[in-house]
Amino acid sequence: MFFRNLTLFRFPASLDLSHLETHLADCALKPAGPLEMSSRGFVSPFGRALRQAQDDREVLSHRVGQCIWLTIGGEERLLPSVVVNDAAGKKIAEAEQREGRKLGGRARKRIKDEIVIDLLPRAFVRPLRTDAYLDLEHGFIAVDTSSRKQAENVVSEVRRALGSFPALPLNAETSPRGVLTGWIAGEAMPDGVILGDECELKDAADRGAIVKCQRQELQGEEIGKHLESGKQATRLALMLDDHVSFVLGEDLVVRKLKFLDGAVDQLESTERESVHAELDARFALMSGELKRLFGMLEKAFKLSRAEA
Amino acid sequence: MPSFLRRLIAPTRTLPVVSSETIALRLPDGSEVTVLRARHPRARRIKISVSERGVRLTLPMRASLRAADAFLHAHRDWIAMQLPRWNAANEVAPFGRDSKTIPLRGEDIPLLWETGRYARARAHDGGVAIALPASASDVSARRALKEFYLAEARADIGRWLPNYLPGFPRAPTSIRVRPLSSLWGSLSARDALSLDLALVLGKPAAFEYVLVHELCHLVHRNHARAFWREVEARGQDWRAQRDYLHDEGAGLKSSLRRLVAP
Repeated sequence: MFFRNLTLFRFPASLDLSHLETHLADCALKPAGPLEMSSRGFVSPFGRALRQAQDDREVLSHRVGQCIWLTIGGEERLLPSVVVNDAAGKKIAEAEQREGRKLGGRARKRIKDEIVIDLLPRAFVRPLRTDAYLDLEHGFIAVDTSSRKQAENVVSEVRRALGSFPALPLNAETSPRGVLTGWIAGEAMPDGVILGDECELKDAADRGAIVKCQRQELQGEEIGKHLESGKQATRLALMLDDHVSFVLGEDLVVRKLKFLDGAVDQLESTERESVHAELDARFALMSGELKRLFGMLEKAFKLSRAEA
Repeated sequence: MPSFLRRLIAPTRTLPVVSSETIALRLPDGSEVTVLRARHPRARRIKISVSERGVRLTLPMRASLRAADAFLHAHRDWIAMQLPRWNAANEVAPFGRDSKTIPLRGEDIPLLWETGRYARARAHDGGVAIALPASASDVSARRALKEFYLAEARADIGRWLPNYLPGFPRAPTSIRVRPLSSLWGSLSARDALSLDLALVLGKPAAFEYVLVHELCHLVHRNHARAFWREVEARGQDWRAQRDYLHDEGAGLKSSLRRLVAP
């Protein structure tokens, strides 16, 4: 359940989310109908196994203090257009042979419609799931994806459920490229943050050279030469307090987030009797680490607040 | 037909390619200028624009060439009037290590050049300091300056936005600041807000007006009277700011291109 990517948005910390559970229930996931391409809605963050084990009403969010865990579920029918075109092509050829003339555009379209309506109920349904974490204390939402579009879709779902959700993407009042490059060049880093072994450097010119390094000493001479030639860091691997490691991009999306032994050790020291208790403990641990990570980003990149 | 069927079946729409050519135009004083005549898929009417890059005649994909040429000839006086202004702009030295000031928020602020381990621009003592490694080119300086302008623009937006957001039904889904060729800002159908980076070079009040203008499109997606009432309700002296952008805007865009173009 630990998040592996974070796309962050800010919202006013004064936002009232006391009736969240009621709003989520109105927007719960409904299975995609036989002629529906896809459906979206909220599902239990604890997953299907636990949902079936419980007889009572499905819980669509999990709250620990000021932190809320939500999950957007979805179902998407897989109907590749190449399959539709192939089946339609065969049917059109049959019809043309039978009638001894070339079919017009309207007739071809009608045949395609019939094929889609015929195939759609038999198409595979792909389940989708994206987790999100809301921190009411600091006013931010972290979506477990590195895709901006997918993150915006999750925020839109929350907005649809709540009626109004003024979430904004992070706005850095400093240059993220400049800060990341400065850290590699040896400038002071925030407390507890150390460099990892991965980075991406880009040339100043548009469509200029790109250097991607993995398992590389970042404060060595090789990287120094790239900086001297004018390249700037656009992605950088970092570690916070030996608890989490991640790759931070100039777009302030956190990728390859890993919870290290320093954090996970706390979980292994205690035995829990149920899956629910285990997930609850993991979420509590993750929320603590995300709070610290966000606090560090907020200070280092001067992130704007969403309220006056 | 259901929308999902249309999505599966409809052929993908491809925009026609922009085609352009240069033609010579004789002005009333007998001098000759080169005009770039370009057909653009998004152009809705024939348009002449003059900038530091020269004279451009833009026409829709299916517009008549004869009509376009007639339009160009009918506006030769206007072109002759505009050209000296842009010729003067072209005489300004390009941005480089000899530059002593840069524009920011409607003022020229001092520029300090330093030697550093990597390229960066930072606020320094009421001005800007650009640090460059000895081997770095002017392109690195321009990139660093662009990053500086972006940070300053985001700082302004971060300061203004929270004051205005509570008055709108929803927030924009994203805010992107980048150099735009002709617009000052736009709001997409998905509520993604785009703002021109050149705004940070001009008066802050004009920048704030453009931000409010685009936010008001969250309420009215047009420029009807109700829209302007929304703008006015937010305490914007919008006419003065619009006039400022009309008078000085082309110069701001041209300055930005001179400063940060790679």
